[in-house]
Amino acid sequence: MLDLRLGIFAMLSDAGVVVLLVLSLLLLFSIISWAIIAFKFGYLRKSLRESKAFLDYFFEVNNVDKVFTESENFRYGSLPRVFRSAYIEYRALGDKGDLRHARTRIARAVKREVNAENKRLAALVPFLATVGNTAPFIGLFGTVWGIMNSFHTIGLTQSASLAAVAPGISEALIATAAGLAAAIPAVIAYNSFTQKISVIERDMEEFAPEFVAAFINEP
Amino acid sequence: MKKGQKHQYGEKNFSLWLVWAAAMHVVVFSLAFYFQIWDADRHSKPKIVTVTLVSLPGSGASRDDSNYGTAAEAISEPPREASPSPLPVSTKSVKVSVPVPEKALVVPKKLSVEPLKPKAIEKQPDINQALLQLKKNVDKKTAQLPRPSSNTLNNALARLQQNVKLRAGVKGSGEGGSSTGRNGAGKGSGGGGTADSYKAQIASIIQQNWSFSNKLLKKSYGMEVYVRINISSDGTIHQILFDKKAPSEYLNLSVKKALEKSSPLPVLPKEGGSGDVWVGFLFTPEGIE
Repeated sequence: MLDLRLGIFAMLSDAGVVVLLVLSLLLLFSIISWAIIAFKFGYLRKSLRESKAFLDYFFEVNNVDKVFTESENFRYGSLPRVFRSAYIEYRALGDKGDLRHARTRIARAVKREVNAENKRLAALVPFLATVGNTAPFIGLFGTVWGIMNSFHTIGLTQSASLAAVAPGISEALIATAAGLAAAIPAVIAYNSFTQKISVIERDMEEFAPEFVAAFINEP
Repeated sequence: MKKGQKHQYGEKNFSLWLVWAAAMHVVVFSLAFYFQIWDADRHSKPKIVTVTLVSLPGSGASRDDSNYGTAAEAISEPPREASPSPLPVSTKSVKVSVPVPEKALVVPKKLSVEPLKPKAIEKQPDINQALLQLKKNVDKKTAQLPRPSSNTLNNALARLQQNVKLRAGVKGSGEGGSSTGRNGAGKGSGGGGTADSYKAQIASIIQQNWSFSNKLLKKSYGMEVYVRINISSDGTIHQILFDKKAPSEYLNLSVKKALEKSSPLPVLPKEGGSGDVWVGFLFTPEGIE
Protein backbone atom coordinates (compact mmCIF):
# COMPACT_ATOMS: atom_id res chain seq x y z
CA MET A 1 0.00 0.00 0.00
CA LEU A 2 2.77 2.37 0.99
CA ASP A 3 4.73 2.03 -2.24
CA LEU A 4 1.72 3.01 -4.32
CA ARG A 5 1.52 6.37 -2.62
CA LEU A 6 5.08 7.60 -2.77
CA GLY A 7 5.34 8.57 -6.44
CA ILE A 8 8.90 9.50 -7.32
CA PHE A 9 10.36 7.68 -4.33
CA ALA A 10 8.52 4.49 -5.29
CA MET A 11 9.92 4.84 -8.80
CA LEU A 12 13.43 5.25 -7.35
CA SER A 13 13.03 2.02 -5.41
CA ASP A 14 12.38 0.24 -8.73
CA ALA A 15 15.28 1.91 -10.55
CA GLY A 16 18.33 -0.06 -11.67
CA VAL A 17 21.84 0.11 -10.24
CA VAL A 18 23.22 2.38 -12.95
CA VAL A 19 20.38 4.88 -12.61
CA LEU A 20 20.83 4.89 -8.83
CA LEU A 21 24.59 5.48 -9.22
CA VAL A 22 23.93 8.36 -11.60
CA LEU A 23 21.43 9.85 -9.18
CA SER A 24 23.87 9.49 -6.27
CA LEU A 25 26.59 11.24 -8.26
CA LEU A 26 24.23 14.05 -9.16
CA LEU A 27 23.16 14.38 -5.54
CA LEU A 28 26.81 14.70 -4.52
CA PHE A 29 27.36 17.32 -7.24
CA SER A 30 24.35 19.21 -6.07
CA ILE A 31 25.45 19.22 -2.41
CA ILE A 32 28.94 20.42 -3.26
CA SER A 33 27.58 23.03 -5.67
CA TRP A 34 25.24 24.47 -3.08
CA ALA A 35 28.03 24.54 -0.49
CA ILE A 36 30.24 26.47 -2.94
CA ILE A 37 27.36 28.77 -3.84
CA ALA A 38 26.67 29.62 -0.19
CA PHE A 39 30.37 29.98 0.67
CA LYS A 40 31.28 32.12 -2.33
CA PHE A 41 28.18 34.23 -2.18
CA GLY A 42 29.04 35.40 1.33
CA TYR A 43 32.74 35.78 0.57
CA LEU A 44 32.32 37.86 -2.60
CA ARG A 45 29.62 40.04 -1.11
CA LYS A 46 31.86 40.88 1.87
CA SER A 47 34.84 41.46 -0.41
CA LEU A 48 32.94 43.88 -2.63
CA ARG A 49 31.43 45.75 0.30
CA GLU A 50 34.73 46.08 2.20
CA SER A 51 36.69 47.09 -0.91
CA LYS A 52 34.24 49.89 -1.57
CA ALA A 53 34.35 51.10 2.04
CA PHE A 54 38.15 50.92 2.05
CA LEU A 55 38.46 52.94 -1.17
CA ASP A 56 36.24 55.65 0.31
CA TYR A 57 38.48 55.83 3.34
CA PHE A 58 41.67 55.71 1.25
CA PHE A 59 40.71 58.78 -0.81
CA GLU A 60 39.46 60.55 2.29
CA VAL A 61 42.67 60.22 4.35
CA ASN A 62 46.14 61.02 2.97
CA ASN A 63 48.17 59.33 5.67
CA VAL A 64 49.18 55.77 4.72
CA ASP A 65 49.74 54.78 8.35
CA LYS A 66 46.17 55.69 9.21
CA VAL A 67 44.88 53.92 6.15
CA PHE A 68 46.84 50.83 7.13
CA THR A 69 45.41 50.92 10.66
CA GLU A 70 41.92 51.26 9.26
CA SER A 71 42.53 48.47 6.71
CA GLU A 72 42.88 46.01 9.58
CA ASN A 73 39.13 46.30 10.04
CA PHE A 74 38.53 45.00 6.50
CA ARG A 75 39.52 41.37 6.79
CA TYR A 76 37.78 40.04 3.68
CA GLY A 77 38.22 42.92 1.23
CA SER A 78 40.59 42.36 -1.69
CA LEU A 79 41.75 45.98 -2.03
CA PRO A 80 42.62 46.33 1.68
CA ARG A 81 44.69 43.14 1.38
CA VAL A 82 46.61 44.51 -1.58
CA PHE A 83 47.17 47.76 0.25
CA ARG A 84 48.44 45.94 3.35
CA SER A 85 50.97 43.94 1.36
CA ALA A 86 52.20 47.17 -0.30
CA TYR A 87 52.48 48.87 3.08
CA ILE A 88 54.43 45.97 4.58
CA GLU A 89 56.83 46.10 1.62
CA TYR A 90 57.14 49.85 1.99
CA ARG A 91 57.99 49.56 5.67
CA ALA A 92 60.51 46.82 4.91
CA LEU A 93 62.44 49.11 2.58
CA GLY A 94 65.67 50.13 4.27
CA ASP A 95 66.71 52.99 2.01
CA LYS A 96 63.70 55.09 1.07
CA GLY A 97 65.85 57.58 -0.85
CA ASP A 98 66.10 55.42 -3.96
CA LEU A 99 62.64 56.07 -5.35
CA ARG A 100 63.01 53.95 -8.44
CA HIS A 101 64.07 50.94 -6.43
CA ALA A 102 61.30 51.54 -3.88
CA ARG A 103 58.65 51.87 -6.62
CA THR A 104 59.79 48.64 -8.26
CA ARG A 105 59.68 46.66 -5.04
CA ILE A 106 56.31 48.02 -3.96
CA ALA A 107 54.85 47.44 -7.45
CA ARG A 108 56.13 43.87 -7.37
CA ALA A 109 54.59 43.25 -3.96
CA VAL A 110 51.27 44.67 -5.17
CA LYS A 111 51.37 42.51 -8.28
CA ARG A 112 52.05 39.40 -6.21
CA GLU A 113 49.17 40.12 -3.86
CA VAL A 114 46.80 40.87 -6.77
CA ASN A 115 47.63 37.47 -8.26
CA ALA A 116 47.10 35.73 -4.95
CA GLU A 117 43.82 37.54 -4.49
CA ASN A 118 42.66 36.56 -7.99
CA LYS A 119 43.37 32.93 -7.20
CA ARG A 120 41.56 33.17 -3.88
CA LEU A 121 38.51 34.77 -5.48
CA ALA A 122 38.29 32.23 -8.29
CA ALA A 123 38.87 29.17 -6.10
CA LEU A 124 36.07 26.53 -6.28
CA VAL A 125 34.16 28.54 -8.89
CA PRO A 126 35.29 26.33 -11.83
CA PHE A 127 33.59 23.39 -10.11
CA LEU A 128 30.28 25.17 -10.65
CA ALA A 129 31.06 25.43 -14.35
CA THR A 130 31.92 21.72 -14.41
CA VAL A 131 28.63 20.79 -12.74
CA GLY A 132 26.70 23.14 -15.03
CA ASN A 133 28.22 21.55 -18.10
CA THR A 134 28.33 17.89 -17.16
CA ALA A 135 25.32 17.28 -14.88
CA PRO A 136 22.72 17.33 -17.69
CA PHE A 137 24.81 14.84 -19.67
CA ILE A 138 25.24 12.57 -16.66
CA GLY A 139 21.49 12.72 -16.12
CA LEU A 140 20.92 12.00 -19.79
CA PHE A 141 23.19 8.99 -19.52
CA GLY A 142 21.05 7.65 -16.66
CA THR A 143 17.91 8.24 -18.70
CA VAL A 144 19.27 6.50 -21.77
CA TRP A 145 20.35 3.55 -19.67
CA GLY A 146 16.95 3.39 -17.94
CA ILE A 147 15.04 3.56 -21.22
CA MET A 148 17.30 0.89 -22.67
CA ASN A 149 16.41 -1.44 -19.78
CA SER A 150 12.78 -0.46 -20.05
CA PHE A 151 12.61 -1.42 -23.72
CA HIS A 152 14.35 -4.67 -22.92
CA THR A 153 11.65 -5.50 -20.35
CA ILE A 154 8.94 -4.50 -22.81
CA GLY A 155 10.44 -6.93 -25.28
CA LEU A 156 10.33 -9.70 -22.69
CA THR A 157 6.72 -9.00 -21.70
CA GLN A 158 5.72 -8.74 -25.37
CA SER A 159 3.46 -5.83 -24.67
CA ALA A 160 3.80 -2.31 -26.08
CA SER A 161 0.81 -0.75 -24.36
CA LEU A 162 1.25 2.66 -22.80
CA ALA A 163 0.68 1.20 -19.34
CA ALA A 164 3.61 -1.14 -19.86
CA VAL A 165 5.95 1.42 -21.46
CA ALA A 166 5.25 4.54 -19.40
CA PRO A 167 6.46 3.52 -15.90
CA GLY A 168 9.93 2.54 -17.13
CA ILE A 169 10.37 5.73 -19.13
CA SER A 170 9.16 7.99 -16.34
CA GLU A 171 11.52 6.18 -13.97
CA ALA A 172 14.40 6.81 -16.36
CA LEU A 173 13.51 10.46 -16.86
CA ILE A 174 14.12 11.16 -13.16
CA ALA A 175 17.84 11.07 -13.95
CA THR A 176 17.52 13.89 -16.51
CA ALA A 177 15.42 15.91 -14.11
CA ALA A 178 18.03 15.43 -11.38
CA GLY A 179 20.81 16.46 -13.77
CA LEU A 180 19.00 19.66 -14.66
CA ALA A 181 18.18 20.35 -11.02
CA ALA A 182 21.89 20.15 -10.20
CA ALA A 183 23.04 22.10 -13.25
CA ILE A 184 20.67 25.08 -13.30
CA PRO A 185 21.65 26.63 -9.92
CA ALA A 186 25.32 25.92 -10.66
CA VAL A 187 25.20 27.77 -14.00
CA ILE A 188 23.31 30.72 -12.54
CA ALA A 189 25.75 31.00 -9.63
CA TYR A 190 28.77 30.61 -11.91
CA ASN A 191 27.66 33.50 -14.12
CA SER A 192 26.92 35.70 -11.14
CA PHE A 193 30.23 34.93 -9.41
CA THR A 194 32.39 35.42 -12.50
CA GLN A 195 30.78 38.81 -13.01
CA LYS A 196 31.49 39.85 -9.41
CA ILE A 197 35.04 38.50 -9.54
CA SER A 198 35.75 40.42 -12.73
CA VAL A 199 34.55 43.63 -11.03
CA ILE A 200 36.93 43.06 -8.11
CA GLU A 201 39.81 42.19 -10.44
CA ARG A 202 39.24 45.35 -12.44
CA ASP A 203 39.25 47.40 -9.25
CA MET A 204 42.55 45.85 -8.18
CA GLU A 205 44.11 46.48 -11.58
CA GLU A 206 42.97 50.10 -11.55
CA PHE A 207 43.91 50.99 -7.99
CA ALA A 208 47.22 49.15 -7.69
CA PRO A 209 49.17 52.09 -9.28
CA GLU A 210 47.32 54.48 -6.98
CA PHE A 211 48.56 52.57 -3.96
CA VAL A 212 52.14 52.58 -5.22
CA ALA A 213 51.94 56.31 -5.89
CA ALA A 214 50.56 56.92 -2.42
CA PHE A 215 53.62 55.30 -0.83
CA ILE A 216 56.12 57.01 -3.12
CA ASN A 217 54.57 60.42 -2.53
CA GLU A 218 54.48 59.87 1.22
CA PRO A 219 56.30 62.78 2.89
CA MET B 1 52.23 30.32 9.30
CA LYS B 2 49.64 33.07 9.12
CA LYS B 3 48.68 32.03 5.57
CA GLY B 4 48.38 28.43 6.69
CA GLN B 5 46.04 29.49 9.47
CA LYS B 6 43.96 31.52 7.04
CA HIS B 7 43.79 28.58 4.64
CA GLN B 8 42.72 26.29 7.47
CA TYR B 9 40.06 28.78 8.51
CA GLY B 10 38.76 28.95 4.94
CA GLU B 11 38.61 25.14 4.72
CA LYS B 12 36.78 24.92 8.02
CA ASN B 13 34.35 27.56 6.83
CA PHE B 14 33.73 25.66 3.61
CA SER B 15 33.23 22.39 5.52
CA LEU B 16 30.54 24.09 7.53
CA TRP B 17 28.80 25.18 4.32
CA LEU B 18 29.13 21.64 3.01
CA VAL B 19 27.34 20.29 6.07
CA TRP B 20 24.71 23.00 5.67
CA ALA B 21 24.16 22.04 2.01
CA ALA B 22 23.80 18.35 2.90
CA ALA B 23 21.32 19.23 5.64
CA MET B 24 19.34 21.40 3.23
CA HIS B 25 19.13 18.54 0.74
CA VAL B 26 17.88 16.21 3.47
CA VAL B 27 15.27 18.78 4.47
CA VAL B 28 14.13 19.31 0.87
CA PHE B 29 13.84 15.57 0.23
CA SER B 30 11.97 15.03 3.49
CA LEU B 31 9.56 17.81 2.61
CA ALA B 32 9.01 16.35 -0.86
CA PHE B 33 8.44 12.91 0.67
CA TYR B 34 5.89 14.15 3.20
CA PHE B 35 4.24 16.36 0.62
CA GLN B 36 3.68 13.33 -1.61
CA ILE B 37 2.16 11.35 1.26
CA TRP B 38 -0.04 14.29 2.18
CA ASP B 39 -1.05 14.85 -1.43
CA ALA B 40 -1.83 11.17 -1.94
CA ASP B 41 -3.98 11.15 1.21
CA ARG B 42 -5.81 14.24 0.02
CA HIS B 43 -6.66 12.78 -3.37
CA SER B 44 -7.27 9.15 -2.55
CA LYS B 45 -10.18 9.48 -0.11
CA PRO B 46 -12.95 7.49 -1.77
CA LYS B 47 -16.47 8.76 -1.77
CA ILE B 48 -18.70 6.70 0.47
CA VAL B 49 -21.87 5.67 -1.27
CA THR B 50 -24.38 3.52 0.52
CA VAL B 51 -26.06 1.08 -1.82
CA THR B 52 -28.73 -1.24 -0.59
CA LEU B 53 -28.46 -4.63 -2.17
CA VAL B 54 -31.40 -6.96 -2.31
CA SER B 55 -30.97 -10.69 -2.10
CA LEU B 56 -33.58 -12.82 -3.68
CA PRO B 57 -35.17 -15.36 -1.37
CA GLY B 58 -33.73 -18.56 -2.68
CA SER B 59 -32.50 -21.77 -1.19
CA GLY B 60 -29.88 -21.15 1.44
CA ALA B 61 -30.35 -17.38 1.48
CA SER B 62 -31.40 -15.86 4.74
CA ARG B 63 -33.89 -13.02 4.80
CA ASP B 64 -33.15 -9.60 6.11
CA ASP B 65 -36.39 -7.83 6.89
CA SER B 66 -35.31 -4.27 6.37
CA ASN B 67 -33.78 -4.91 2.97
CA TYR B 68 -36.60 -7.15 2.03
CA GLY B 69 -38.98 -4.25 2.52
CA THR B 70 -36.93 -2.12 0.21
CA ALA B 71 -37.12 -4.78 -2.46
CA ALA B 72 -40.84 -5.03 -2.13
CA GLU B 73 -41.18 -1.30 -2.63
CA ALA B 74 -38.96 -1.38 -5.63
CA ILE B 75 -41.09 -3.91 -7.47
CA SER B 76 -44.44 -2.44 -6.73
CA GLU B 77 -45.40 -2.03 -10.37
CA PRO B 78 -48.43 -3.83 -11.73
CA PRO B 79 -47.61 -7.46 -12.49
CA ARG B 80 -46.56 -8.31 -16.00
CA GLU B 81 -46.39 -11.68 -17.65
CA ALA B 82 -43.43 -13.78 -16.53
CA SER B 83 -40.76 -11.50 -17.94
CA PRO B 84 -37.73 -11.81 -15.68
CA SER B 85 -36.88 -8.15 -15.90
CA PRO B 86 -33.98 -7.09 -13.74
CA LEU B 87 -34.89 -5.60 -10.42
CA PRO B 88 -34.00 -2.02 -9.79
CA VAL B 89 -31.08 -1.49 -7.43
CA SER B 90 -30.25 -5.09 -7.15
CA THR B 91 -27.29 -7.15 -8.07
CA LYS B 92 -28.02 -10.64 -9.08
CA SER B 93 -26.20 -13.13 -7.01
CA VAL B 94 -27.23 -16.64 -7.69
CA LYS B 95 -25.57 -19.82 -6.69
CA VAL B 96 -22.00 -20.60 -7.56
CA SER B 97 -21.08 -24.12 -8.20
CA VAL B 98 -17.35 -24.28 -7.58
CA PRO B 99 -15.46 -22.87 -4.57
CA VAL B 100 -14.01 -19.79 -6.21
CA PRO B 101 -13.33 -16.44 -4.56
CA GLU B 102 -16.30 -14.31 -3.58
CA LYS B 103 -16.14 -12.13 -6.63
CA ALA B 104 -16.18 -15.03 -9.01
CA LEU B 105 -19.84 -15.65 -9.44
CA VAL B 106 -21.75 -17.71 -11.96
CA VAL B 107 -24.53 -15.40 -12.99
CA PRO B 108 -27.16 -16.32 -15.49
CA LYS B 109 -27.68 -13.60 -18.00
CA LYS B 110 -29.68 -12.97 -21.11
CA LEU B 111 -28.19 -14.25 -24.31
CA SER B 112 -26.47 -11.35 -25.95
CA VAL B 113 -26.55 -11.42 -29.71
CA GLU B 114 -24.05 -8.80 -30.81
CA PRO B 115 -20.42 -9.52 -30.06
CA LEU B 116 -18.94 -12.76 -31.10
CA LYS B 117 -15.43 -11.64 -30.41
CA PRO B 118 -14.27 -11.58 -26.78
CA LYS B 119 -14.34 -8.09 -25.49
CA ALA B 120 -12.69 -6.81 -22.37
CA ILE B 121 -14.73 -4.29 -20.45
CA GLU B 122 -13.08 -2.54 -17.60
CA LYS B 123 -14.94 -1.52 -14.48
CA GLN B 124 -16.02 2.06 -14.43
CA PRO B 125 -14.51 3.94 -11.53
CA ASP B 126 -17.72 5.80 -10.88
CA ILE B 127 -19.95 2.76 -10.74
CA ASN B 128 -21.01 3.69 -7.24
CA GLN B 129 -22.20 7.05 -8.47
CA ALA B 130 -24.14 5.41 -11.26
CA LEU B 131 -25.81 3.08 -8.78
CA LEU B 132 -26.72 5.99 -6.57
CA GLN B 133 -28.17 7.83 -9.54
CA LEU B 134 -30.17 4.76 -10.49
CA LYS B 135 -31.50 4.45 -6.99
CA LYS B 136 -32.58 8.08 -7.01
CA ASN B 137 -34.44 7.58 -10.29
CA VAL B 138 -36.23 4.55 -8.93
CA ASP B 139 -37.15 6.41 -5.75
CA LYS B 140 -38.59 9.22 -7.85
CA LYS B 141 -40.66 6.84 -9.94
CA THR B 142 -41.84 5.01 -6.86
CA ALA B 143 -42.88 8.26 -5.24
CA GLN B 144 -45.00 9.14 -8.27
CA LEU B 145 -46.88 5.87 -8.24
CA PRO B 146 -49.75 5.22 -5.79
CA ARG B 147 -48.74 3.41 -2.62
CA PRO B 148 -49.15 -0.30 -3.11
CA SER B 149 -51.46 -2.22 -0.90
CA SER B 150 -50.23 -5.17 1.09
CA ASN B 151 -51.96 -7.50 -1.34
CA THR B 152 -50.02 -6.11 -4.26
CA LEU B 153 -46.79 -6.53 -2.35
CA ASN B 154 -47.62 -10.10 -1.48
CA ASN B 155 -48.45 -10.81 -5.10
CA ALA B 156 -45.18 -9.35 -6.25
CA LEU B 157 -43.31 -11.38 -3.66
CA ALA B 158 -45.06 -14.57 -4.71
CA ARG B 159 -44.21 -13.83 -8.32
CA LEU B 160 -40.58 -13.30 -7.49
CA GLN B 161 -40.35 -16.52 -5.55
CA GLN B 162 -41.92 -18.33 -8.48
CA ASN B 163 -39.36 -16.87 -10.85
CA VAL B 164 -36.51 -17.90 -8.64
CA LYS B 165 -37.84 -21.43 -8.33
CA LEU B 166 -38.20 -21.63 -12.09
CA ARG B 167 -34.61 -20.54 -12.59
CA ALA B 168 -33.34 -22.97 -9.99
CA GLY B 169 -35.19 -25.71 -11.78
CA VAL B 170 -33.58 -24.81 -15.07
CA LYS B 171 -30.09 -24.83 -13.60
CA GLY B 172 -30.32 -28.44 -12.54
CA SER B 173 -28.31 -30.29 -10.03
CA GLY B 174 -24.94 -28.83 -10.87
CA GLU B 175 -25.85 -25.35 -9.80
CA GLY B 176 -25.29 -25.68 -6.09
CA GLY B 177 -23.17 -23.15 -4.32
CA SER B 178 -23.44 -20.08 -2.30
CA SER B 179 -25.12 -16.79 -2.90
CA THR B 180 -23.54 -13.79 -1.37
CA GLY B 181 -24.53 -10.19 -1.09
CA ARG B 182 -22.95 -7.29 0.66
CA ASN B 183 -25.99 -6.32 2.62
CA GLY B 184 -28.72 -8.62 3.68
CA ALA B 185 -27.18 -11.49 1.84
CA GLY B 186 -27.39 -15.11 2.74
CA LYS B 187 -25.18 -18.06 2.20
CA GLY B 188 -26.19 -21.48 1.17
CA SER B 189 -24.39 -24.60 0.26
CA GLY B 190 -24.87 -27.23 -2.36
CA GLY B 191 -22.94 -29.97 -3.92
CA GLY B 192 -21.12 -29.56 -7.19
CA GLY B 193 -22.06 -31.44 -10.29
CA THR B 194 -21.24 -31.25 -13.96
CA ALA B 195 -20.54 -27.55 -13.61
CA ASP B 196 -17.59 -28.39 -11.34
CA SER B 197 -15.97 -30.61 -13.88
CA TYR B 198 -16.70 -28.09 -16.62
CA LYS B 199 -15.01 -25.32 -14.63
CA ALA B 200 -12.03 -27.50 -13.91
CA GLN B 201 -11.82 -28.31 -17.60
CA ILE B 202 -11.87 -24.68 -18.76
CA ALA B 203 -9.46 -23.71 -15.96
CA SER B 204 -6.95 -26.22 -17.24
CA ILE B 205 -7.40 -24.96 -20.83
CA ILE B 206 -6.83 -21.38 -19.73
CA GLN B 207 -3.84 -22.45 -17.66
CA GLN B 208 -2.33 -24.10 -20.74
CA ASN B 209 -2.82 -20.95 -22.81
CA TRP B 210 -1.47 -18.69 -20.10
CA SER B 211 2.13 -17.72 -20.81
CA PHE B 212 3.48 -15.93 -17.79
CA SER B 213 6.84 -15.78 -16.08
CA ASN B 214 7.14 -15.00 -12.40
CA LYS B 215 10.65 -13.64 -12.90
CA LEU B 216 9.45 -10.63 -14.83
CA LEU B 217 7.53 -9.29 -11.84
CA LYS B 218 9.43 -6.79 -9.78
CA LYS B 219 7.16 -7.21 -6.78
CA SER B 220 4.94 -10.04 -5.65
CA TYR B 221 2.71 -8.04 -3.32
CA GLY B 222 -0.94 -7.75 -4.39
CA MET B 223 -0.47 -9.71 -7.60
CA GLU B 224 -4.01 -10.98 -7.95
CA VAL B 225 -6.38 -10.65 -10.87
CA TYR B 226 -10.04 -11.33 -10.31
CA VAL B 227 -11.67 -11.86 -13.64
CA ARG B 228 -15.12 -12.95 -14.79
CA ILE B 229 -15.89 -14.35 -18.21
CA ASN B 230 -19.21 -14.66 -19.91
CA ILE B 231 -19.46 -17.95 -21.76
CA SER B 232 -22.21 -18.54 -24.27
CA SER B 233 -23.76 -21.94 -24.75
CA ASP B 234 -21.43 -22.73 -27.66
CA GLY B 235 -18.40 -22.06 -25.49
CA THR B 236 -17.46 -18.67 -26.93
CA ILE B 237 -16.22 -16.11 -24.44
CA HIS B 238 -18.40 -13.05 -24.91
CA GLN B 239 -17.06 -10.77 -22.27
CA ILE B 240 -14.05 -10.54 -20.02
CA LEU B 241 -14.61 -8.46 -16.91
CA PHE B 242 -11.76 -7.53 -14.61
CA ASP B 243 -13.16 -7.26 -11.09
CA LYS B 244 -9.75 -6.50 -9.70
CA LYS B 245 -6.56 -5.82 -11.59
CA ALA B 246 -3.04 -6.48 -10.39
CA PRO B 247 -0.52 -3.62 -10.07
CA SER B 248 1.51 -5.28 -12.82
CA GLU B 249 0.20 -4.55 -16.28
CA TYR B 250 2.16 -7.52 -17.54
CA LEU B 251 0.11 -9.92 -15.38
CA ASN B 252 -3.17 -8.26 -16.43
CA LEU B 253 -2.30 -8.46 -20.11
CA SER B 254 -1.12 -12.04 -19.87
CA VAL B 255 -4.46 -13.00 -18.28
CA LYS B 256 -6.40 -11.20 -20.98
CA LYS B 257 -4.34 -12.83 -23.71
CA ALA B 258 -4.79 -16.27 -22.15
CA LEU B 259 -8.56 -15.84 -22.03
CA GLU B 260 -8.73 -14.56 -25.58
CA LYS B 261 -6.57 -17.41 -26.72
CA SER B 262 -8.75 -19.96 -24.93
CA SER B 263 -11.92 -18.88 -26.73
CA PRO B 264 -13.88 -20.85 -27.85
CA LEU B 265 -14.07 -23.06 -24.78
CA PRO B 266 -15.79 -26.44 -24.76
CA VAL B 267 -19.54 -26.30 -25.24
CA LEU B 268 -21.48 -25.72 -22.02
CA PRO B 269 -22.94 -28.86 -20.43
CA LYS B 270 -26.60 -29.27 -21.26
CA GLU B 271 -27.54 -29.53 -17.59
CA GLY B 272 -26.44 -25.94 -17.21
CA GLY B 273 -29.28 -24.62 -19.39
CA SER B 274 -29.15 -22.92 -22.75
CA GLY B 275 -28.23 -19.37 -21.60
CA ASP B 276 -24.87 -17.74 -21.00
CA VAL B 277 -22.98 -18.31 -17.80
CA TRP B 278 -20.54 -16.17 -15.89
CA VAL B 279 -17.51 -17.91 -14.50
CA GLY B 280 -15.00 -16.25 -12.22
CA PHE B 281 -11.31 -16.96 -11.80
CA LEU B 282 -8.54 -15.74 -9.58
CA PHE B 283 -5.20 -15.46 -11.34
CA THR B 284 -2.10 -15.27 -9.16
CA PRO B 285 1.56 -15.75 -10.16
CA GLU B 286 1.23 -19.23 -8.65
CA GLY B 287 -1.61 -20.22 -10.95
CA ILE B 288 -5.37 -20.12 -11.47
CA GLU B 289 -7.78 -20.66 -8.63
